[in-house]
Amino acid sequence: MAEITLVAETGRVSGSSASRRLRASGKIPGVVYGHGTDPISVSVDARELRNALNTEAGVNALLTLKLADTDHLTMARVLQRHPVRHTVTHVDFQIVRRDEIISADVAFHLVGEARELANQDGVVDQQMFSLTVNATPGKVPQNIEIDISELAIGDAIRVGDLELPAGVTTDVDPDDPIVVAQGAMSVEDLEAAEADAVETGEGASDTAADAEGSAGEAGDDDGASGSADASGE
Amino acid sequence: MLMPRRVKHRKQHHPNRRGVAKGGTTLAFGDFGIQAIEGHYVTNRQIESARIAMTRHIKRGGKVWINIYPDRPLTKKPAETRMGSGKGSPEWWVANVKPGRVMFELSGVTEEVAREAMRRAMHKLPMKCRFISREAGEF
Repeated sequence: MAEITLVAETGRVSGSSASRRLRASGKIPGVVYGHGTDPISVSVDARELRNALNTEAGVNALLTLKLADTDHLTMARVLQRHPVRHTVTHVDFQIVRRDEIISADVAFHLVGEARELANQDGVVDQQMFSLTVNATPGKVPQNIEIDISELAIGDAIRVGDLELPAGVTTDVDPDDPIVVAQGAMSVEDLEAAEADAVETGEGASDTAADAEGSAGEAGDDDGASGSADASGE
Repeated sequence: MLMPRRVKHRKQHHPNRRGVAKGGTTLAFGDFGIQAIEGHYVTNRQIESARIAMTRHIKRGGKVWINIYPDRPLTKKPAETRMGSGKGSPEWWVANVKPGRVMFELSGVTEEVAREAMRRAMHKLPMKCRFISREAGEF
């Protein structure tokens, strides 16, 4: 796996206002921890971090973090993002050793075209999007490719079917499905299924609405008990 | 239409409109989604209307997830009523959607179909939204 060097500044002021000012100046606040060291508050350049995590190694890249006095071999573990802008607002760097086994999430990448499934009007239902693997930091794969070209309706690819690279293991249940090939439902079937699903809810709420009408003049507490009784009927 | 079966309090205060979504800001189930970029109350009728717009367009195949639930009642006093004499009667059920929330998800269709289906659904929703996809990546 490729190693990337990232320069981090220590001694940043903590707190939301200071962090906001830091982000406005093109930096991202972060923290470095691991292996019994005291956590260190740092800040890294936003553009450099983006370049570091956008290489072929992906977000599980090994980063050599250059602090003022020391270098640490780290991995970016938690990326907090702004909910609307999706920019990184905070990053956790965990110190790792080259020979220790760590766990990391690796994304699945579906390859191939399920032609037989397409001819049968089926759909590929992906139920798992990443896998937690155990490996030494240098052996964490960038992604796991899954060939879906042979899928037919009713088939499933499970965790146990994966051929993980040497030195990579997982604790996930081998029977857990990753991809399932399902037959497509027509709009009528889909709406009928959804109508069945909400029918009980609507019926109960209609009775609740009736109760609201009759108990409308009552106080709030009475109304609440009225609607509860109505839905119980 | 989505609606709670029963509630502890029939008439509630208005839900808080400030802030951004704390969770549910990324795709959890599907490959494509509609993300709110403004906060707004979304009624159960709007949710149902958006869902129908989507399912009608995708015709066959595909799976739709609705990630918001209209569990907050809003009340209204009748027209031409004098002020006072208590709070009005429950009129709408709304979901309090904050900016960043992924409201609908879709999978099992091509991106082209998903974009058009979600464009139609967005027209049924009261706030500005955007189309998001899993392929777009993290950064």
